[in-house]
Formats: sequence, structure tokens, C-alpha cells
Amino acid sequence: MKPIGAIERAIQCAACLMASAFFVSGAAAQPNYKDKIVALRVTQQIFDEARPWTKKSPEVREGTAVVVSKGLLLTQANMIQNATFIQVEKLGRADWIPARLVHQDTAINLALLAVDEQGFFDDLGPAVIAANVATDGVVHSVRWKDRQLEVSNSRPGRIEVLESPYGSVHHAILRLSTDFSDGGWAEPVFAQDQLIGVTVMQDGQTATIIPAEILKAYVESPARDGEAGDYRGFASIGGLRWQTNTDPALAAYLGLEGEPRGAFIRQVPWGSTGCSSLRPRDILLELDGHEIDAIGNYNHPLYGQLRFDHIVVDGHLPGDVVPARVFRDREILEIEIELRASPPAARLIPWRRADSNPPYLVAGGLVFRELDGRYLNTWGADWRTKAPNQLRYFYDLLGTAQTPDRRRIVVVSHVLPAAYNIGYHGVADLPVKSINGYPIDSIAGAAQAFERPTDDLHRVVFYPNSTIRQIVLDGATFEAATQAILSAYEVPDRLRLPEVELPDLGAQCQYDVGLQSVVSH
Amino acid sequence: MKRGFRIILWAAAALMLAACQESQIEKTLFERSVVRIVNHSQRGDWHAPWAPRAPTYSGGSGFVIEGGRVMTNAHVVSDARMILLYLDNDPTPHEARVKAIGHDCDLALIEPVEPGLLDGFPAMAFGGLPELGSTVETYGYPAGGQRISSTRGVVSRIEKAVYAHTGADSHLTVQTDAAINPGNSGGPVIQDGRVAGVAFQASTELENVGYFIPTEVIDHFLDDVADGTYHGYPDLGVQVANLENPAARRDSKMRPGQSGVRVEFVYPRSSADGFLGEGDVLLAVDGYPIANDGTIALDDLRVSYEQLLDRRQAGESVPLEILRGGEHHQVSVTMQVYPPFDAYRRQYDQLPRYYIYAGLVFVPLNTEVVVALGEGLPEHILYELYFRPIEEPLAARRESIVLLRRLDHAVNGYMSWYRDLVVDRVNGRSIESLDELIAAIESNAASHHVFEFAYYGRLGVLDRQAADDANEEILEIYGVPEDRSL
Repeated sequence: MKPIGAIERAIQCAACLMASAFFVSGAAAQPNYKDKIVALRVTQQIFDEARPWTKKSPEVREGTAVVVSKGLLLTQANMIQNATFIQVEKLGRADWIPARLVHQDTAINLALLAVDEQGFFDDLGPAVIAANVATDGVVHSVRWKDRQLEVSNSRPGRIEVLESPYGSVHHAILRLSTDFSDGGWAEPVFAQDQLIGVTVMQDGQTATIIPAEILKAYVESPARDGEAGDYRGFASIGGLRWQTNTDPALAAYLGLEGEPRGAFIRQVPWGSTGCSSLRPRDILLELDGHEIDAIGNYNHPLYGQLRFDHIVVDGHLPGDVVPARVFRDREILEIEIELRASPPAARLIPWRRADSNPPYLVAGGLVFRELDGRYLNTWGADWRTKAPNQLRYFYDLLGTAQTPDRRRIVVVSHVLPAAYNIGYHGVADLPVKSINGYPIDSIAGAAQAFERPTDDLHRVVFYPNSTIRQIVLDGATFEAATQAILSAYEVPDRLRLPEVELPDLGAQCQYDVGLQSVVSH
Repeated sequence: MKRGFRIILWAAAALMLAACQESQIEKTLFERSVVRIVNHSQRGDWHAPWAPRAPTYSGGSGFVIEGGRVMTNAHVVSDARMILLYLDNDPTPHEARVKAIGHDCDLALIEPVEPGLLDGFPAMAFGGLPELGSTVETYGYPAGGQRISSTRGVVSRIEKAVYAHTGADSHLTVQTDAAINPGNSGGPVIQDGRVAGVAFQASTELENVGYFIPTEVIDHFLDDVADGTYHGYPDLGVQVANLENPAARRDSKMRPGQSGVRVEFVYPRSSADGFLGEGDVLLAVDGYPIANDGTIALDDLRVSYEQLLDRRQAGESVPLEILRGGEHHQVSVTMQVYPPFDAYRRQYDQLPRYYIYAGLVFVPLNTEVVVALGEGLPEHILYELYFRPIEEPLAARRESIVLLRRLDHAVNGYMSWYRDLVVDRVNGRSIESLDELIAAIESNAASHHVFEFAYYGRLGVLDRQAADDANEEILEIYGVPEDRSL
């Protein structure tokens, strides 16, 4: 089948006739994008987070991937979450070709795919990744959509630092005005034939892109060698809590002479960059040779004022040690800070779960699961007003702070009613403190605790709430009752353990602020 | 399931909305004793606590009882600046004043300023609790109408339910399908020529379902105010859980045939503190055995055991039978009002308390502040008010103070954070009341005021001299008449 021309396609696809998007034929004098990108179709199937043993109906998500070397495609990690089948399509082929995941980093929200079909990459060429992003002029966002190559003239907007959308690394992103509708699905963005970024989200006509520096660092890392590679990920300031130091009164009170400057450090949780080297009430004046101003910005040589979070991503990796200057106890000190990664799983209540499958335990009809963002989302986009109060404040007050003895919050999400658990049928969404006297911070721990009843009773103790503080179940009939309930409610397995291990957060910070005291153990 | 209730006061804006289903029936003698009440009221603004809101007016009903008094709902006459009574077939407004008001039970007594005005009106007598399925009639002035109307309905449920006026109190309530519309509030519900209750709220979820306050609650209110002061309902101060599961009963060392509820939590300094402990089983109250679901058999009804506690006045004792470690005990608990619960109630007849220093607006945390913050309510405020007292009862602040907002000025304009923050310490002193906050600020002689906020380690600092110098100016710029209301 030969490619159809641009005019014919435009007639066939009225929906694609957007004001400023144009279609590119091979003969056009535009940069040649068609051999650098492929359409991506991901069949995905998520679990019913409210009944974690059940999968929902599969859905298909479509986006774009960009060729970054012979045999490798780059896209968002978010695109391929919960994927059961990945396919790609390229210009000149009417069929979808299976692809496979080579590597993904959900913290930075990037993934590499491969296609095993012989010769697939023969007529494709890798995009050259730019050294940095363009900050002015016109750039091109490109995608396959409905077998059309669409190109949007896009205009770079502001560069700012934030937590990667759908990820957990703080880094610079570029805002881009685009004419695409429904964009944000990993469309590559080119300037002068070089790849300057990949979109990770789009709000209205403003797209957010991960900049070229990040793409380059990821593509050139051992990630390209697959999951077994010696991949270190990205360092991040995530978890560290600080406030601006614009207030002359605050600076004077702390004894900092001259103009207020630096970032006022408030909390340094376990596992965060700065753990054991920064202290609450330090003022971070310099990091890696960059002076930090009163609102937490430093002067990036290309992009100007950027929040200091980006310093640790820019040319550094987790484990690197960078110099810093801090104002502490009325003295300026030179210190060293070991950079850490900030994977989503480092949070006590992760917004993004590392596992596709929700871990759970059904014991005596009580359904236990780990509290995470996906569960909170079962109350809908407005979960912040609809989810139970206790879960909401756990997420906000404790969500970022693991401690060595509390690494996850386990909740009883609901009860599968039976005569065995009568009296508890209305119990729902209560965080568990202990089972049979054992503190609980994992599904595995909950399962083990049920193996150790006391006085032939099982006792589940909840964090204090206004309804019920504990559940007591009979020990002698526990196993038989659990099996009967699993059978009655057609639950195939009583237990699913996490597939991904918790990240190593290192030694506990010497100057941790003890967030755990907010809700006592 | 959480149920929604609305109070049934008509307001100026509600007139067009009210669906009137009442029918005129032959006027009886006591109909003359049903009065119309118009309340010109003014509430505080918990987001701008120095400036009361614009006055408004609303209306309800009431009825004459012995002593030349008129009984109505508390919400009909709350926050009153001027109350007007309209008597049967009399177009003349008569000024009235509040004689007693119980917000926790939504009842009030008012009396005309003019002595003897009600002499010719028969005092209505009270009956008892109507039977399920029996017929009652409501009387009142719904939708602001100037002529009395009545509706008839059947008693469909009798149970403890939330009183919407404070949103935090539950008492015995009678449900009926007699139309109870805005303006019916405070009117009598009649059975066999006697008052069976006071109409007070309607369901927001069920159609044509209204509620009235039964005479048991009315009697409690009248007994309470007999000495001229309303003290309020006392609280036992415990949280209990049902013991319907046999394993839970075994764990509580209950013998076959025994039933009751498990004490989960005892509020510090409450009536039960020192008498009951976590893990005790409440077997009986006032001699009535408690079932495992927390109910007792009372007058052919099964109601919550708390119904018996509700019959006590503050200062009266109640005998309890408990099981502790398998041992049977009898204790007598003196019931007292529990002031910390006031923070969970909507506030009436008082303007917000506040203190403003250098443009920083500090207020005690309570439900009104939560309502004022609306959907922007930060979760740490939620935790501080509702969860910390039960999670860390001994560490919880007696009164939590919140930096609500900032009146912008050069002296405070650089503060990074200045909204909705719980104050932990000021100038090194822990803060557990507005008085302590004021003392910590006004007694500080250091060069700076240092505000440490709870939960996120935030720190705010003011230059003391500059703040002192700017204080009056800020109040003047923003039209704040007083820097404090205590």
C-alpha cells in the first residue's frame, strides 16, 4: 500500500483540519519528521481499586513515540502503565506492529520501547536530541493521529521547575502553546530538526514538555540496555520542604546579614536529598556553586531564573555528592550533600503506585489494602472533598514522610459481609495501626500478623477515629470462614503481595523532623 | 448513611421556593395561641471577624405556653437584634425578647416586652410521645404567610437524630409526613389537643419528610431553664462500639446472656473520665440493659442507650453497670456539660472572637471557621479540629488558634505564609488559647516576634518595634474598630 498524499488525507479526515496544524507529505519542504516518529497504541487494563482482585474492562490509549536510536523508541512512562499489549504504527504500514517495553522510569515519566520485527527500523532514523530547549521562535509538535502525520506550529512559553507531571522528580519543564487538541500524549517537539522535548500533559492549548537535557540523559543512560542495566535514575529535591526567605525580619531574626537570600529549610524527611546534611532552619545559600536567591531561584546560564530544584537534575545523578553553603546557627558553613532519587514509592502514601496490581489481603472478610493515590481516586477527581476525612489528612500530613517503622499505610477498605464478621459490616476506609499486637505497615506484615492470633482471637486495631477502634474475630474458625467468604464473593486469591520492593532510603536522617509525631504510632 | 437535614426557617429569599401543601381547617381554640415570629438578626463574619454581616430577617412560628411565654425554635430567634410577634388576627407587631435559648436542643422561650400581652391567649398544654402510625397536626405560618395553616400527617419514625441547628447535637426526634415547610419552625405539633412536639427541620434527601422535637426534649429544656439559666445537655464523654460479634464479646470477657457496648475512648476531663476506661463494657444505664447494638427497650421502642443519658440535667448522676476484666461493677457518674464540644457546634448569639496584631488575624478554631474556609479548607485544619483530640487527647490544645489571614502592610508583607495556619508557639511559648497568644505577643520585649506554626514547620517573624508602630495604622486602614474581641 502506498502512502496517500497530503491533500487526499485532508479531505478524508475533516476532523483533522485544525486552523494551524498542517499535514506533511514526503515532498514538502518541511523538516522530515515522518521517519522519526511512530504512533503508539497501548491496550491497558487496570484493576478495580475498590475490589483489587478484579480487573476492569480493557481500554486502548493512543499516543506517540519518537525514534531515538536504531531499535529504540522513547515515550512517556505514563503511556504504558498497566499495558497488556503495546503496538506501534509507522507511515507506509497499515498494520499495527507489536512493541515491547525495554525500560521505564516512572519517577521521570519516560520509557523506552523496542520493536522486534525484522527490518522495522530500516526506513526510520533516530531524532537528534538537542543540547537544550529553544526558548523562542516557532517549534513543531508532531504526532500520528488517525494515520495522519500532524504538525503543529508551537510557541515556547515559560520555563519553570515543578514536579514532573505523573512523575516525582522536580525539574525544569517548558510550557508550549500548541494547536493540537487532546495533546499531551508524548508528542515529540522539534526545533530546527532536533528533538527539544516530549509532551507529558496538555491543559487547553498549553502543553508541558520534558526538556531535551532530561531526554538526553535518560536515552544515553544504561536504561537503553533494559531493566538489568546499571541505571541510577534521576536525583531530585522531592521530599525536602522549604520556604522562601524574602522576609527581612526572618533573616534578621536568624542573624543573616545583608539582603535576605537562600532557601529556608523546614523539613528534611528520611530518604530525601539533604537527609543527614541539611537541618531544619538552615538557609541554603549555594548549591553546586549556584547562588540561591530569596525566592529559591538560581541563575541558569541559558534559561535565566530557575528554582534551585533543577540544579540536582542538571548533570548529576543520585549518589553524587555536591558542595553547598548553608547559614546555620549564625555561621556560614561549607557542607556536602548527597543527592538522592525520589521515586514515587518513597512516599508513605504514593500517588503513583510502582505496582500495576494493587496489593491486598482478604482476612475474615476484611479487605486490607495499601493506601495510595489510585485508591483515593476511586472517589473521583474531587476526592479531596469526597474521600473520608481521615484518609485525606493522612495523605496531606503524612503522605511524603516514611519512617523506618512506617513505610506504608494499610487500610481496611471494606468488609465482605458474613456471619463470621457480623457487627463489622459497615466498617470501611479505616487505617490499621496493628494486628494481633504487631504494628502494620505493609500487606505482607498484615498477612503475617494473622498467623499469630492471641488467645484464639484476631485483633485489628485502627488509628483512632470516631467510629470503631478495633475489630476482634474468632481465631478457631478464621481460616474456614476466610475460605468460605472468598468462595462466596468469588475472590480468586486471598493475598497479593507487592511486586516491586520498597526503595532503599538509606540511613535515617540525623536531623529528621519527626513528622511521625503528627499521628503517633 | 449520613442523612441531611435542613432547618425550616423561611428567609426573605425563600418565599418563592416554598411549596405550600397546608390546608385550612376549622379554627380551634388553641389556634389563637399559635403566633408568627419575625426575627431581624445579625451574624458575625468568621472570615472578617471584626465586622458583623448586614442584618437580615426571617420568620417562623411559636406558641403560647404557661407563664405568658412563647415557645419556639432556637434557630427562629438566634442572633436576634429585634424580634416581632404577630398574634392571631392582629396586624400589630409586638416586640419580644429572648427569655431562654438552648441551641443544642434548638428550643427557645421568648416573651413580649409588653406585660400581659398574652393574658387572653390560652396556654397550650404538653402531651407525651405519640405512637408510631398515629396522626399529628402541625400549625404555623409557613412561607411567611400571615394566616395560620395546618397540615396533617402520620408519625413514621422515632429515633435519635442530628439537630441541624448546631450540626453537632443528637437528640430524640419524631419523623412525620405532615408537610413541614420553611416558616413552620417553632410551631406546635398537636395530637389529641395537646402539644406533641415542636416542628423544626425537614429532610434534604427524602420527600415530604419533616421532624419535630418531642416533649421529652422540651421537658428537659424547660426543667433546665427553670432556674433562669440554660446550662445545656450534659455529656457522658465516651465513644462506644457495638459488640454484636461473638468474638468481641469473648474478648471483653462477657458471659453468655450478657450484652452491652464497648467503651472505645474516654474524653479527658469529661463526665466519664475517672469512672470509665477503654475496654469497659457498658451493660446497663439507669437499670435498663443495653443490647449489643447499643439500644435499650424504652416504652415499646428500641432507642439508643444515650436516650437515658439525655434525660439527665447537668449535675445529676446516672447509675451505670459495667464489666471490667470480666468483673461486674456499678458506678455512678455525675453528668456534666463538656465545653470542648462547643468547637464542633455552629455558633449563635455571639460574635467571633479574634485578635489582630500587625495585620495578622488570629481566631480560635471552630466549626464556624471551617465553614468560612469552605472548600479551601486545608487538611491540617481538619486534623487539628476533629482528629487530634481523639488521636492525641493529652497533647491536643485546649483551644487551637489559627492565623486566619493577613491585612497586608509593609510590616507583614514579606511573610511567606500567612493563611490558615495553626499556631504552635509564639515567642517560645506554647499557645492553647487566644489569651495565651495575646500574652505571648504583648509581653514580648525581644527584637522580634517569632511565630511557629504546627504541622509543616513554617516560621513567621515580625520586627517587634515595627509591628508595634504599624499596629494602629493597619487597624485604621482596614476599618477595624477593635484589635480584639474576646
